[in-house]
Amino acid sequence: MNELEAEGLTLLELTDRLLHRGVVLTGEATISVAGVDLIYLGLNLVLSAVETIEQSKRKTA
Amino acid sequence: MTLLLHAIADHALPDRPPGLRGAALDFVSAGPVGVWASTVDTEEGTRDDAFDHHRVVEAICARQPCLPIRFGTHVADAEAVRALLAGREESLAGALARVGRRRELAVTLLWLDAAARPGRGHAVVGPPSGRAFLERKRAAYAADEERRSAAEAFARRLEAGLATEQADVRHTYCPSAEVALSTAILAPAGEAEVMKERAVRVASGLTGVRAVVSGPWPPYTFASAT
Repeated sequence: MNELEAEGLTLLELTDRLLHRGVVLTGEATISVAGVDLIYLGLNLVLSAVETIEQSKRKTA
Repeated sequence: MTLLLHAIADHALPDRPPGLRGAALDFVSAGPVGVWASTVDTEEGTRDDAFDHHRVVEAICARQPCLPIRFGTHVADAEAVRALLAGREESLAGALARVGRRRELAVTLLWLDAAARPGRGHAVVGPPSGRAFLERKRAAYAADEERRSAAEAFARRLEAGLATEQADVRHTYCPSAEVALSTAILAPAGEAEVMKERAVRVASGLTGVRAVVSGPWPPYTFASAT
């Protein structure tokens, strides 16, 4: 498997855990991250993280 | 100022890792448990903050059993933390005893033929036809069912190969067109790396998919008081 693809998937799995799992203490409280709704942030964050990795890989290649 | 909560543990530590963005990390005690928290100046976080929260949780987990708290949980002050924990201390202490020392692995299985599979919105050739539309719907439904059955079979193979208890595995079947299975595994304390190697071996023997095994991480998926 492409190392970059594996790294992106690992980030995706970790991001899902950070944003959607773990002990919930505040019920349905809205959590904002940089003003973006959390549900949408998850996807954006993963995409951004993967893009960042790709960019850094290109720079070091 | 606000407190960003990181993890639940049962006692404070003299050796404290730095909190979010290097802030002081404080322990708010509430009976048999307490919460590690960073004092930050805003409730708005960034992408880097999410991963820094992970770093803090990892550092705490390296020092003592803990339950990660979902990223982005803010409260006003220590009294607000105690109010949130009120009535839940015993169940959280129980969860801490069950999973606090353990580590989580992730197994992601990707379909090898995902790119070749037609999407739902693919072009239709010829004049519109109600019958053709229904046939396409039926074929798509059957294909989805087939995928789901295959994903469930992969999950059973993983469980058998890893010899884990059902309570220590959580599967998400076909979460996207590319992913057949996303599985969280709770590894026994001290055995995460051995279990990871075993997961790689088992997953690499599955046909029609390729596997990525990630972690070990703090037990995010299994940190629940219920």
